[in-house]
Amino acid sequence: MGIANESRQEEQNMREEHHGAGRYWLIWGLLLVLTVVTVVTGRIHIPTWGLVLALVIASTKGTLVLLYFMHLADHRGANRLVFAVSIIFVVLLLAIPMVDLGTRFRGATPPGSTYSDLQAIDIGADAEEGRYGGAIRKEGKMGEESGAPKQ
Amino acid sequence: MQSSSHAAGGAALPVPRLAGHFASLEVQNHAARLGMWLFLATEILLFAGLFICYGVYRFLFPEAWAAASRSLDLTLGTINTVVLITSSLTAALAVHYAKEGKNKMVAVQLGLTLVMAVGFLVIKYFEYHHKFEIGTLPGRFYSYEGIQLPGVPLYFTVYFCATALHGIHVVIGMIVLAFSMVRALKKADFGPNNFTMVELGSMYWHLVDLVWIFLFPMLYLV
Repeated sequence: MGIANESRQEEQNMREEHHGAGRYWLIWGLLLVLTVVTVVTGRIHIPTWGLVLALVIASTKGTLVLLYFMHLADHRGANRLVFAVSIIFVVLLLAIPMVDLGTRFRGATPPGSTYSDLQAIDIGADAEEGRYGGAIRKEGKMGEESGAPKQ
Repeated sequence: MQSSSHAAGGAALPVPRLAGHFASLEVQNHAARLGMWLFLATEILLFAGLFICYGVYRFLFPEAWAAASRSLDLTLGTINTVVLITSSLTAALAVHYAKEGKNKMVAVQLGLTLVMAVGFLVIKYFEYHHKFEIGTLPGRFYSYEGIQLPGVPLYFTVYFCATALHGIHVVIGMIVLAFSMVRALKKADFGPNNFTMVELGSMYWHLVDLVWIFLFPMLYLV
């Protein structure tokens, strides 16, 4: 019975347009304004909080799309639960590796990363290729020209 | 039991057909949406894998990330964002008109959506082309002299994986919406009882938009 009631409620929400097409235009306008905001603030390159701000704006835009374009606001019951659970999983999936990286022994981070001062560990046939951001591509190509000392 | 008010053709089967195991059309529609949300949840988790790669490497190579991000064309990225958001609007309007049974408007809105999708892909092509020209490519194929930092090729690995996967989704979304558009033109049987096809296709398109809303600041605005 519970399921049937949910379905009825959802069907009514979806069928009755309490709003005309105007709401979609309004959401579109808001999304464009937020895009401008994210571009303007993004170009300033605010240290530390820039990423947080960008993610907050993106999440706000995402929420608008989900609730009104995808009609999550009108949906009921299990349909909302599924989405909420997937977002919880995404947050967990992101949080756990970041906590791991943030608390690692420095030497365990990859060579060349900001948080490591160890030398490169060469794995693979041609260790030089692509390892230094392209600085040393092939033996005798760039290395000789710049006279960079080999480790 | 339930029957459609759109079986005007007479000989044609009533649309939508109610499957025997559903108590009513309402329950059937509810179940269809549940299925779509489940599918979209798997899609979100698919992209989440790439976002985690992004997060890990950005944490390890912050300077490379900032430098590489600034080598992208912000103008083209912004235009693409606006194009995709607007195409989402037209996809939402298509559902709105499908509910009202205005099949011609459904076809028009879906057509507009498809045009903008093509526009998005064309702009993306020019961006890709430029990267192949200057050599900002993943891994060992990286050969751009302008930025020489450890971790920069990793940025482009993430860039190409994320945008290519998103691009594939754009193409799939276009195919799905094209089916709805053809139906709106040929059968013209969308109406208050029958709009699930447009609705679910449009939900897929909004997901494509949703992913881009996150990819845009992550890639272009480090």
